[in-house]
Amino acid sequence: MKTNPPSFLEELYSSRNVLYQLVSQQLILRYRRTALGFLWTLVNPLLMMSVMALVFSTLFKADLKTFTVFLFSAMIPWTFFSSLVSQAGNSFINNEGLIKKIYLPKAIFPLSIAFALFIDSVLSFFALFAIIIGMGGSLSWPVLFIPVAYILLFFFSLGLGLIMSVATVFFRDLQHVILIAMQGVFFLTPIIYKHGALAGKVGWLVGLNPVVPFIELFRAPLTMASMPSSRVIFQAALLSMSTMAIGLFVFLRQEKKIVFRL
Amino acid sequence: MSSIRVENLSIKFRIYHDRSPSLKDYFANLFKRQSQTAYSDFWAVKDVSFEIRAGDRVGIVGHNGAGKSTLLKALCRVYESSDGLISVDGRIAPLLEIGAGFHPEFTGRENIYLNGSILGYTKQQIKVIEPEVIYFAELEEFIDTPVKYYSTGMYMRLAFSLATAIHPDILILDEIFAGGDAAFLIKAKARMHSLIDKADIMIMVSHDHQLVTSLCNRVIWMDHGKLVADGPPEDIVARYLAGRLNA
Repeated sequence: MKTNPPSFLEELYSSRNVLYQLVSQQLILRYRRTALGFLWTLVNPLLMMSVMALVFSTLFKADLKTFTVFLFSAMIPWTFFSSLVSQAGNSFINNEGLIKKIYLPKAIFPLSIAFALFIDSVLSFFALFAIIIGMGGSLSWPVLFIPVAYILLFFFSLGLGLIMSVATVFFRDLQHVILIAMQGVFFLTPIIYKHGALAGKVGWLVGLNPVVPFIELFRAPLTMASMPSSRVIFQAALLSMSTMAIGLFVFLRQEKKIVFRL
Repeated sequence: MSSIRVENLSIKFRIYHDRSPSLKDYFANLFKRQSQTAYSDFWAVKDVSFEIRAGDRVGIVGHNGAGKSTLLKALCRVYESSDGLISVDGRIAPLLEIGAGFHPEFTGRENIYLNGSILGYTKQQIKVIEPEVIYFAELEEFIDTPVKYYSTGMYMRLAFSLATAIHPDILILDEIFAGGDAAFLIKAKARMHSLIDKADIMIMVSHDHQLVTSLCNRVIWMDHGKLVADGPPEDIVARYLAGRLNA
């Protein structure tokens, strides 16, 4: 019994029902029995980002309205990326009970996390659109590029998530390492500051940071009403495809060993 | 017709003597070029071969740690074989541990859908069996209550009813289980028997030797991961109980 990509996809397709259940489990459970219910998914990140917008716009002496859009347009994709990578890292460990008792295609665990976070993220984006319009701004046609940006970001994050999910099973330390690493990468990504603003000793690190082009994909249509440059799109597409390919490769190689190491 | 063929199946576990290697150890060992191995291999199942055809009711007996459950889990694809081959023809139902995948915060009904999908049922199938499962589990009143408020008996009843709701081609049982009161146990036994009757193949692990002899028409004896005997139930069970390999 050898796993090759087509049978891997077939298997995933036949388990779509479990996948659907796992995704809705994650979406429903979080805010069950709370007054606002599912709305918390939206309110929570928005409030968090509002606090950041208020603090940093004051700190940087920037206009609150422009800064809000500037910050949110980068924070939403960043949150998706960092949550996916860190949560996927724990996905097998958290489902150990299930994996040891019943056969399920292992990929559904990181995938269900990816889909649940994706839905959250898209909803946040709609909230952002509402905020922009509410503040008297307008959306221009480059906004239509955002779905493409999401697809690229999705595969990039998922690829990394797959690698982390497998690696964490073998090296439990990674659960903690990844959280710290994400903090570091956050500051090395132009999220609270403009691209190119972080120069000097650490400036070159920003240049190496693979998350940067993805943030640009989202920021250009929203803050500058323009399409991202073709160079950025190309970089992102290349990163996205190669990360996903590596992630899939690592995952398929190690998939069968996971159960023995949980 | 369903069938199972197992050829020279071996399953290896790696036992770490103190703990799983950390990232630090891994890199440290990478450069040291292997001083001593901190783990040893343990063969839970070693070189086992057998063939099961439709109509077979197979019981597996053996001491604790003989590899019985590991073998069942390998048949259900939970464990990948380290060596050898398993080929299974037919829809297999893993009844290894019922209630795996129940979520305490979900209501009984939601768990039917969640756990049902984990058991491999389609949405339509679950819709069809839902009323019957609830009725059999006697949970009509509480089905929309989160299962964390269930008593152990209620929980077991729901899990059992759901796991046994669809008739599989190949039934795999690790100890016959059922919780609940005496009345439910009788019902559950009857349901179990009808499940066994309708299955093409049944494989069970049990320490209840009377049950094995009454339900099975063939018994496999496993010892330390190896298959040591395979034959008619009375004969093998008697030899196993006497602790003798040769009749």
